[in-house]
Formats: sequence, C-alpha cells, structure tokens
Amino acid sequence: MDDVELRVQLERVHADCFGWAMSCCGRDRDDAEEVLQTVYLSVLDGRAHYEGRSSFRTWIFGVIRRTAASERRKAWLRGLMVERNGGRGTGEVEIVAADPFVAPDAGVEHESRRDGLHHALAQLSARQCEVLQLVFYHETTVEEAAGVMRVSVGSARTPYARGKARLAELLGDRKEL
Amino acid sequence: MRVSIPASRLPLPASRDESEIRQRFAQLREADRDSAPSFAQMSARARMHRGLGATMRVRPLVIGAAAAVVIVAVWLGSARIFSFHPVTPTVAAITAWRAPTDALLRTPGSEVLGAMPALSASVLDKMIQTPTNRGT
Repeated sequence: MDDVELRVQLERVHADCFGWAMSCCGRDRDDAEEVLQTVYLSVLDGRAHYEGRSSFRTWIFGVIRRTAASERRKAWLRGLMVERNGGRGTGEVEIVAADPFVAPDAGVEHESRRDGLHHALAQLSARQCEVLQLVFYHETTVEEAAGVMRVSVGSARTPYARGKARLAELLGDRKEL
Repeated sequence: MRVSIPASRLPLPASRDESEIRQRFAQLREADRDSAPSFAQMSARARMHRGLGATMRVRPLVIGAAAAVVIVAVWLGSARIFSFHPVTPTVAAITAWRAPTDALLRTPGSEVLGAMPALSASVLDKMIQTPTNRGT
C-alpha cells in the first residue's frame, strides 16, 4: 500500500479511529488526540505496516489499542516519578477550567444519557468495556472485536455476553432513578 | 440446503435492553463524530512531529556514542595509569636494601675464607707482606 492509498484509507476510517481512541483513553479527548497522532505518525513513517491479514479498520484499531496501552504505561511511570518527587514539589494545585466552547444548556438530555452510559461502562471490566464498545459503537462482529483485542473468539464472547447483561442492568437501574 | 453461519454472525435477538444499548452507543458515536478533529488537522500535526521525531530518534544515538567515547577514554586512562605503576623502583629498592646488622657478620679474615686459594700458595701469603708480594 503506497503513501497516497494509506492516507485515503486513514481518512476513511478517521472518525471511527477517533471514537476508538477515545474509548482506549478512558474518554480523555487530549489523550485520544495524542494517541491518534502517534498512530498516524507511525503508520505514515512505515513503523506500523499493514500486511492485509485483516481489514484495514481492524488492523488500525489494533495499532490504536497498543499505542494507547503504551501511552498509559508511560503516564503511569511519569506519575510514579512525580509521586517520588512529591515531597519536593511546589505544592501547586492544578485547576481544570470548564470547556468554554460548550454551551452550558446544549443538549442537556443527550449529555445526561451519555453520562449514564459512561458511568455504566466505568463499572464494567476493561475487557467487557472494550468488546461492547467495538460491537455496539463500531458495529463490528465479536470475531472482529477479538481480532482487535488479540484474543480468541471465545475469550471475547464471554465478556461480551456478561458485559451486555451487566450494562443493560446498570442502564435500567439509572433509568429508574 | 442449510448454510451454517458462525454464531457471532447471527443477528442477536433484539431485546428491549439491547436496543437501548445500541441507541445509547449510537448517540455517543454521533457526539464523537461531531467533535472529532479533522483528518487534515491530525495528519498535519503528525507531519509536524515527524521532523521533531527524527531529531528525537537521533538524540539517543548521539548520547550513546558520547557515553561510549567517555567509557573508552576512562578505560584507556586507567590502563595507562596501571601500566606505569612504579614496580621497577620498588624492586630496585628491595634489592639495594641492606640490613644494618650486616656489618656484624663481617669477621676478621673473612676475605681469606671467601676466596679460592691457589694450590701452590699459602693462606698466609695474603696476610704476611713478603718482598715477593710487594713486587720488589
């Protein structure tokens, strides 16, 4: 696959890739963009090479997943270093400002429903969360999801069934509240 | 004729719960699509980082090479120091050393006992000065 074709393929799956990167980064937008940028860079540089053994989307999702895991490990190590130097810190407290580009009353109901889903997903195991995201959000089959997650189909099917049941239960509970 | 379809490909029974889950994920997908940065933006950023990345990849090589040079220099320096360690002066000092009590071992007539006498000579020849000895 040449550079031009690679770009065309990337552009076609870009929105999906962003959604998957968001999921792999715990819905942190900055981290997701950072991961996606690293992935694009490694694909365009030829460090991540598509060999056509699966669909392009399955392959790029696998690359995103591995990159996100690697970034998480790095962040964990950085956190460990900061913790170690914590006693010598300046004692500054980080203040996170609200996003000024989001109108406070924009789609309140939709946001509340999305928050409900995020809250419910946060209570599932990482594997359940991943497989449900792939199947329901990206509309892949369980087999494709297993390919992205690099596990056997059986190892993806069990968390899929249990996760779906648990998610339905959690969303039902939240609706009743 | 029956065609077997893998279980995972079969359409799932669309229960009320499942349609609710699908609907929620669809809303999330739409929201993400609306807020996603454009591909052009992302690839431009990636291109920008490509140049920076090349520098960052070269940097460890430079650091590694510098470290190797320093290690070799230190090793050579220490080897030279050890090779010029004053071994010879110590040996010389040891061989030149004489015990202060050596003088006590020098007894009268020791030179007579230390030399090999000639068959036709007497040991007394060296002690007694005769006209022949004096070379007259």
